[in-house]
Amino acid sequence: MIGNDIIDLSLANTESNWQRRGFLEKQFTVNEQKLILVATNPFALVWRFWSMKEAAYKAYTQQNEIRFYAPKKFKCIIMSEKEGLVFFKDQIFYTISIVNQSYIFTTASLEKETKVYTKFVIPEVIDKAIKIKLADVTTLSVIEIKQKKSKNGAPYYYYKDMLLTKSCSISHHGNYGVFSLLFT
Amino acid sequence: MNRKELIISLQKIVKPYVQDQEAFKNLSEKTDFVNDLKINSANLVDVILDLEDEFDIEIDNDSMEKMLSVKAAIDIIENKLADS
Repeated sequence: MIGNDIIDLSLANTESNWQRRGFLEKQFTVNEQKLILVATNPFALVWRFWSMKEAAYKAYTQQNEIRFYAPKKFKCIIMSEKEGLVFFKDQIFYTISIVNQSYIFTTASLEKETKVYTKFVIPEVIDKAIKIKLADVTTLSVIEIKQKKSKNGAPYYYYKDMLLTKSCSISHHGNYGVFSLLFT
Repeated sequence: MNRKELIISLQKIVKPYVQDQEAFKNLSEKTDFVNDLKINSANLVDVILDLEDEFDIEIDNDSMEKMLSVKAAIDIIENKLADS
């Protein structure tokens, strides 16, 4: 299972105030808070952690049909500029993040080595772009490919009754849209 | 404060974070913050912090976990107000 999350940093800067009282305490572990407060760029680290938590949550809720809001329970460890780990209950999610001036993008997976197909597209055309990609890979007709959502909102793509995606995660924020796929 | 009044206060609080104005107009206890109002998940914490300030309550982690709908939020606020 995979989950992804993208954050448009200029929008995050106007939509949220990470320095607001309670913001860090409610969502980040004591260890994460300490790292944020001593970071050279605390803003970037807040959103790196957040995208890791959100991506792991999206991977977790594809296996478990529940929804909840508990970012603090997703404990993050940064391994390198790109790699990280998120611990939740008895699971470990391996994360890869792309961090630059404009956005932070993270994918989380239960397997260390996952062949994830990821594509950035403008937010308005994500669904269409996924269908085109699936039609391309399977040589099936694009108009016959439909999206269905699970009870907690995770997207799955079908050709008639045949499931085409083992796992699919969609994220959009501000100017950015992205999808990640694991093929069946 | 009765439930109706609580919903009105809650409506004021969530308004700045709502991205689906149509769903906001039809807000009821069944309304989901993320799926219906399209509140960005990164803004859920702001809703919670605003509720804490408005009602002078503390929303603990267990309560926070369920804060995904109008109904859940009203239930939690009612409980906290009754305890205080």
